Order: sequence, then C-alpha cells, then structure tokens
Amino acid sequence: MAARAPVSEVHRAIATALDGAFYRAVNPDLDLVAVDPIHHYAAIGWREGRDPAPWFSTQSYVAAYPEVAKAGWNPLHHYLTVGRSEGRDVVRSERAEDYLLRQARRGREPAWSFEALIAADQSAADLADASEARLCDRTLAAREFDAAFYLAGNADVAKSGLDPLDHFLEVGWREARDPNARFSVKDYLETYPDIAADDINPFVHFLEVGRAEGRVGRTELGFRYEIIKRLVPLEARVAAATRAAAGVQPGTMAVLAKALTGARTGLADLHITFSHDDYTANTGGVQLCLQREGARIAALGRDHLHVFPARPWPVVRTKGQAGHLGVLLNGKPLGVFAPGTVAGALRKAAAAVAPGRRSFAIHSLLGHAADETADIVAAAGLGAGFFWLHDFASLCAGFHLLRNDVEDCAAPPPESPACGICVYGPWRARHLAEHARLFERLALTVVSPSQPTLDLWKASWSYPAASEVILPHAVLVDREPAPATPAGRPLRLAFAGMPAAHKGWELFRELVTKHDGDPRYQFLHLGGRTPGGLPLAFHKVVVTGTRPRAMQDAIERLEIDAVLIWPLCRETFSFTAFEAVAGGAAVITGPDSGNVAAFVESSGHGRVLADEAALAALLDTGEIVELARARRKPWLYDLAFSGLTVDLLESVA
Amino acid sequence: MKVLCYSSFTFSYLNRARVLFQTVRRFHPDWETVALITDRPPPGFDFDPAREPFDRVVWADDLGVPDFAGWLFKHDVVEVCTAVKGPFIHQACASGADAVIYLDPDTALFASLAPLEALLETHDIVLTPHLIDPNDDPASIRDNDLSASRTGIFNLGFVAIRTTGEGARFARWWNDRLLDWCYDDMPQGMFVDQRWCDHVPALFDKLKVLRDPGYNVASWNLSQRTVAVGKDGAITVNGAPLRFWHFTKLGPLGDIMTRKYAGENFPVYEIWSWYKRQVAQVTDPSIPPRWWAYGSYSDGAPIDKAHRVLYRQREDLQAAFPDPFRAGGGGYRQWLERENL
Repeated sequence: MAARAPVSEVHRAIATALDGAFYRAVNPDLDLVAVDPIHHYAAIGWREGRDPAPWFSTQSYVAAYPEVAKAGWNPLHHYLTVGRSEGRDVVRSERAEDYLLRQARRGREPAWSFEALIAADQSAADLADASEARLCDRTLAAREFDAAFYLAGNADVAKSGLDPLDHFLEVGWREARDPNARFSVKDYLETYPDIAADDINPFVHFLEVGRAEGRVGRTELGFRYEIIKRLVPLEARVAAATRAAAGVQPGTMAVLAKALTGARTGLADLHITFSHDDYTANTGGVQLCLQREGARIAALGRDHLHVFPARPWPVVRTKGQAGHLGVLLNGKPLGVFAPGTVAGALRKAAAAVAPGRRSFAIHSLLGHAADETADIVAAAGLGAGFFWLHDFASLCAGFHLLRNDVEDCAAPPPESPACGICVYGPWRARHLAEHARLFERLALTVVSPSQPTLDLWKASWSYPAASEVILPHAVLVDREPAPATPAGRPLRLAFAGMPAAHKGWELFRELVTKHDGDPRYQFLHLGGRTPGGLPLAFHKVVVTGTRPRAMQDAIERLEIDAVLIWPLCRETFSFTAFEAVAGGAAVITGPDSGNVAAFVESSGHGRVLADEAALAALLDTGEIVELARARRKPWLYDLAFSGLTVDLLESVA
Repeated sequence: MKVLCYSSFTFSYLNRARVLFQTVRRFHPDWETVALITDRPPPGFDFDPAREPFDRVVWADDLGVPDFAGWLFKHDVVEVCTAVKGPFIHQACASGADAVIYLDPDTALFASLAPLEALLETHDIVLTPHLIDPNDDPASIRDNDLSASRTGIFNLGFVAIRTTGEGARFARWWNDRLLDWCYDDMPQGMFVDQRWCDHVPALFDKLKVLRDPGYNVASWNLSQRTVAVGKDGAITVNGAPLRFWHFTKLGPLGDIMTRKYAGENFPVYEIWSWYKRQVAQVTDPSIPPRWWAYGSYSDGAPIDKAHRVLYRQREDLQAAFPDPFRAGGGGYRQWLERENL
C-alpha cells in the first residue's frame, strides 16, 4: 500500500507540489537551511500538521479522511496519487492568506491565483481592507524597525533567510522579540494590559498612538536591576558551598606528616600564608601577589606553607563549622586535610627541628575560622604576623563592600538601614566577630596596599592591630616619553580586564552601544574573553606570573588613549590602573573606586569624575579628547612590583 | 506614650505580617502588637501565637459583631479584613493605650516611627495620602491620581489615632461605617474602608495629613519619590528618612507597577528584593496559598462573590439563613442550588 511506498517515490510525488518558499516562510522555527523542506515534510512535517503549500491544509485533510493518516499515509502523497482522482476535497492552508499577501506586497507573483483562494464567506472588500491595514502596519513599523538589531538578536531568523520585518510582524512580536533596542515588546504588554488584551502588535500601537499618549516603549531599568534580580541569598551560596565540600575526603595526619618531610629546610625556616584559594591553580590579583610572595620566599631559601579552603567558600567559617583545608608546600599540593590535622602535623614537624626564621601572613580569612588559623600558626610557634587588606572581608561578608552587588556602601554601621536591606547584612556580624577573634589571638600588623584602603578600614571598625603599614603592590618607574601619535584620529577608549559588572563593564558597554558609529571614538576591550556582539575591537590579553607586563604592553602597543576603570566597588590597589598608566593611557574613573581615584588624583594621569552622568557627558561633549595621547604627550613607565610580605620580613630583619 | 499597633489579615498573609511585626519589634519593642485575624488556621498548620512576632491575637469573631456569621458572609476577604479594622480600633480606644496605629500586613518599618509618636502629641488623627505630589504625564495620572480619586485620597494601609478626643470620635464613626458599608462598590462611592476616609478632613479636627515622603512609600507614589542609600547607611526618600514601605501586590503585578515607576532608581529593587527574601524566610509551606477558612461553605465548596452580594442585598435571605456558611439541608447553599443561582 502507498503508506509503505518507497521513500524515494513519496519524495518524487510530493516534490511536484510542495512549495518550498511557503514551507520555509510559515515554519520559521525550523532549520530549513540545513534540512530540505521536502524531506522534512515527508518525514516529520505532515505528522506535526504542517502544510506543504498554500492550497493544502494537512490537518484538514487528515480530519476529513482519518483513515489516510491512520494508515501512515502522507496526506499530500495520498491526495496527489489517489485522493485527487477520487474527487476528495482539499482546504487551503490557514497560513495561505497572510503568506500570499506578503508575497503580493513584495511584488512577487504567487504560484496560485490569490482570488481563487479567498474563502467564500470573506468578501473581497474585507480582504482588501485587511491587506491595506497590514500594509499600513508594515509601512509604519518599517520607519523604526532595526533589521540589523533584529537579525543580530535572532539567529534563527537570520538563518532562515526570512525578511526580518515580516517575521516580526507575523510571529516575532508574539514571541516577545524586540523590533529595536529602544522598544521592548514584553515591557509594553506588561505595562499596558489594555494593549495585551486587544491582541494587537504593540510596536505598531506604540508608533501609531501609544507614544503620543505618553506611553513608554521600554522601561529603562539599568543593569543594576538585572543584578538585583539575580541576587542569590548568601545562605544559599553557603549551602551550595557546603554541598560541594561534602564529598571532600581529608587525608590523615600520617600522610601530611610524611609530606612535610620533603620541606626545603625541614620547616626550620618557614613562612605560612593563608588565603581564599590555591594561588597556583587560579588567576587574579591576590593569586599573583601570592605567587610573587612565594617566589621571594623561595629565593630566600625558606619553606612556604600555604593553607586555603579545599573548596571555594563565600564567607569566613566559625569554629566547629566543618571545612577542610588544602595545603601547598613550596607551591606543590600536599592534599586536603582537616584543620586540626594541619595544626597537629605542623606542630610535630616544626618541633622536630630547631626553629629558624619563621613568619606568617594572612591574605584572606575567607573559608577559614579564626581559631583554627591561630592554632595553625601557633603550631609553628608563631603569634605575631601580618594581615593583608586585599579586600574588605574583615569588615563584611560582602568583601567588595558592594551593597547587594550594585553600589559601594563604604561599610556603614552594621545596624544601619543599608545593611538591613543588604544580602550580606545578616552575615556581617560573623565576619566582624571572627576577625575580632583573630586579632585577639594574634598580634597582627595590618598591611594595606593603599592609603584610602587603610583609612576606610580604620574608620569603619576598630580591631586591636599591633601596627599598620602601607605597602603598594607596585610603583611606577620612569621609562621614556611615549611615541607621538597623530592628532585628530578617533580617541581609543579601552576597558581592561574581566568584563564583570563590579569592574564597571556595564557602564563601558552602555558607552560602546550609545556611541556605536560615532566617528570620534574607537572602543577596545583588552582581556581574557569578551561577551561579543558589541561594536568594539577585542584583543586577548592575559596577565600571568610569567607575563606580568602583558596588559601594559598591549596598552602601549595599541596606543590606547584612555582606559575606563570605573569599578562599582572600591579597589584596594588596582593593578589595572597602574598598567594603564605605565602603557601611556589616561585613566577615567569615578569617586567610589578607592585607590584608582586616589592614584589618578595624586598622579594626574586621568580624570576622577563626579558620577555616571559626568562620564556620559564627557563622551557626549567630546571633552574626553583632552585625554588623547596627542594632547597629553604621556610618558611610559615600568612597574616595580613589591615582594609583598617578604619586603616587610626583610625590613624587619 | 503607650502605643498599640495592630494589623488585620488572614493566614495567607501571615508571612507578610510576620515580617511587619519583626520590624515593628525591632524599632519599637515597647509597643503592644496585635494580630487581628479573620480566619481559622488551615489543617496541618500548627499556629502557636507564643512563637509569633506579635504580642497577642484577636480573632475577628471575638470583636462582638452582631450576627457575626451572616455579617462576615456579606464580605469577601478584602472587604472583611478591612471592615474589622473599625470595630477593633474603636474597642482599642478603651484598652488603656494612648495611641493606636494600624499598619497593613504588607508594610514594613525601616526606621523608628518616633516622629509619628511626636505628631500624636499634638494631633488626634494621622493619615497618609496616596500622593503628596501630583503627576504630570497622562499614564501616571491614569494609574495613580485617578486611581486615588476612585479608591480614596488616603491610603488606609496606615492610620494612627489618639484614643481620646477626635481620635476616639473618628474610631467610633469608622466603626459604625465599616460595620455596614465596607464593600468594594465604587459605583456606590465605596471602596472598602478607604474611601470613607475622604470625609475625615471635613468631619474631624486635629487631623494631620502626613506629607512626609518617607512614610507609606508604595508603587502608586514611586513616580514622584526617589529612593537613595547613603554612605552613612541611611535610606532616604526625596531626602527624608525612609520610615515604612507598603509592599502592595507582592508578585508579578506589583513588580510591573514598581518597574514602571521606579525605572532606574535601583534602591527600590534592593528594598523589594530584601522584602521578598524576608517573606520567603517566614513563609510556612503548610499554609496553602490563598487559604481563607471563610472562603468556602462548610462542605468545602467555594463561595461565589455573587452569592455574597446577593446575601447582603436580601434581608429576607439574611433572616432565613443566619449561618449562610452551613451546607446541607435547609442551608443557603441548597437554596441557591434550588434557585439555579
């Protein structure tokens, strides 16, 4: 029977009648570039009720002659080979009218007579009215429809080859696809339920009457809205960390004791560091600092024991709250152990040799408990050491001091309304208590990489620090004047580093979008990865322990005029700011950027602007050209990096 | 000043009321807090008032409303939860408190209401208008100004009175009106307990219309209020300290109106985000969503609003069925079925 007809025969038969253009047009959800419509309809399409041509409704045929489908017979094949000669009826596709009208509007001759397809109960006048209305809608929408925007955001439409405006008017708006960057279908329908109830194209309504009525096409909520919407309560983050850490199997005291025997000096000369992760396995500012510190300790011929939470942990732990610690000896992993095991094994090993020059530095207490940390350093016979202010975890669980991840908070009083609404607020007391305990157990010299960081730290909370010292991670060393650049070329404004909201990426993205096509500016992103889809030039730049100059070299080579360093949170140091200036760029920053603002103000290498509106104005007015290399004639610098705690050990020595 | 602070709700709103009373206790541990509940705990929910963040519970059926079952049946949940505010505030005037403050369960305090207490030294009634600044654009006027014209100039998610003088006279008048005329019937000039208070400036002296933007912040007045969080940790609204927020319509509808009028004023979303976290923390999953014990007949069948309206319009039905909730033979429900209603 025909249902079992060879596939090739079915294909041959339906190929004579299937309208490929129609099939593609009315099935935008299908990837019909890769799949042939004839094959698709023969294999799947008819079973899904899709129509092969304007004149043939699969569903109507199946409904009228259920035995055909029941026998597994392709309805179109059945009609062409049997049904037609039996006088069976066909009904036109429900999509036919719209499709043929669109074709007609584009001046294309439909394959079938349009008039012949008009349903008997619909007068030609009605259809003409509908046709005219659609044409009006299309003309209106076309004025502000952004085809490039639509295709960029809807890869399926781009792939299908459909006209983007037709797609939007036919189905796109129903799928909440936006016609341009300034109009949100979802916003409009949510905000104006009367329009949603009328089932009319919201964009057309907006252009026709909505705008004149004072309706808003897109509710501008800003990037901070999205961050707040995605905020995960800290409780949930701790719970996730707890789950992730549950599978960690700690090693025994014997294993660690044996591993410690491989130490360079038998732990006689020993430097212990604590941080939030394994600095050899992760990248970032603190990790680079620890790499430098480790290298300098090695150069001194001492042993370096690094202790870190075995799994990332978002807050400090309290005594008794389970958590295992990873241990590195001279940069090599020894395994994961319980805190008591680390203290116990170290006590034994350290006692087995005459103590030499021993020291410790706490770079971060995240994932550690104060008493456990103090117990570990006590096991090496230590009680006095260094506490680094790489971040503000000693003031709050939100160690960036970024209230709800959207705004610098400046560590207000813990009982303040601001802390009351902050996702980190309920955890602040724990951080204050654990750090208070740490300062109570140990005599700690607080080391800050910058003056503003120390100032804020001291103003916000009072810990009994043994002393304080400021030690920048790097200083500028004069090199030579930067090569001259031609005047009048577009200003090169760059974003350097990770495209993260708290680093100011969203502000940069807004500027790039706003000034797309502005001949005055050229935007660049220098970093490890870029989100894509923006009119900017991306250059892959990754700073590592072995390539510490990668960023400043790139800035110098690309002759970047200015780097936007506008973190939402205050930076305790900012390598990026120093790298930018070393490479000859000016730095543009805001008032809440901590040491970035302090550095720019004290060095004069850029501008500290009052707020985001001032930043927008700087580009709008073009005043930013004052920062072009051609105007500034900058110098190039080298960066002289500190040895971190080792500098202090040596100065103490 | 001895202050009694109360809120009126059903168990569906217990989570919100918990958040409210936690904030009241934080800023005013000396106030007496009362939960006025027009409901019964759902099966499977262990309601222990001693573990709740309020001092005591008053059940609506203990307010002494005559023919309580029939009276209650005339109202839907919003109508009755607002109606009972009248008898309670009236009775509270004789409770020994110097002042009574009503706060909707979906409000929360962000700072002390000490300035309000100070106002009550010189005024007997304090009301907060929905709007303290007019809107200019048509959409905002439609959503906010005209809405307030229909539903009431003052938002009755808050009212504060002294228990003597004009405050007591107001409480008595409001009690009287709400016992008989607390319906959502805008064509008749009623919007539950709220529209009545449009008369207050005309009927009473010693009224303070509190035009401080830090009070009763809500989606309907966000178009004219800007929220900021300072480095000192203060939250301000148009420069004034934020006192309390009205988190009306927790859910998609509230979100839409908030987004529409807050725009890029992101502290508004921080505050809402905080509120949602708080509510989620104190939500008891054993209370079914939209639970209301008086929302159904004794056999569990839901009560149509139309059946409540019919009952309140027909004195003969009220006389014939003094307990209209009762299902079964000879009951109101059976009568409705027989009448094909």
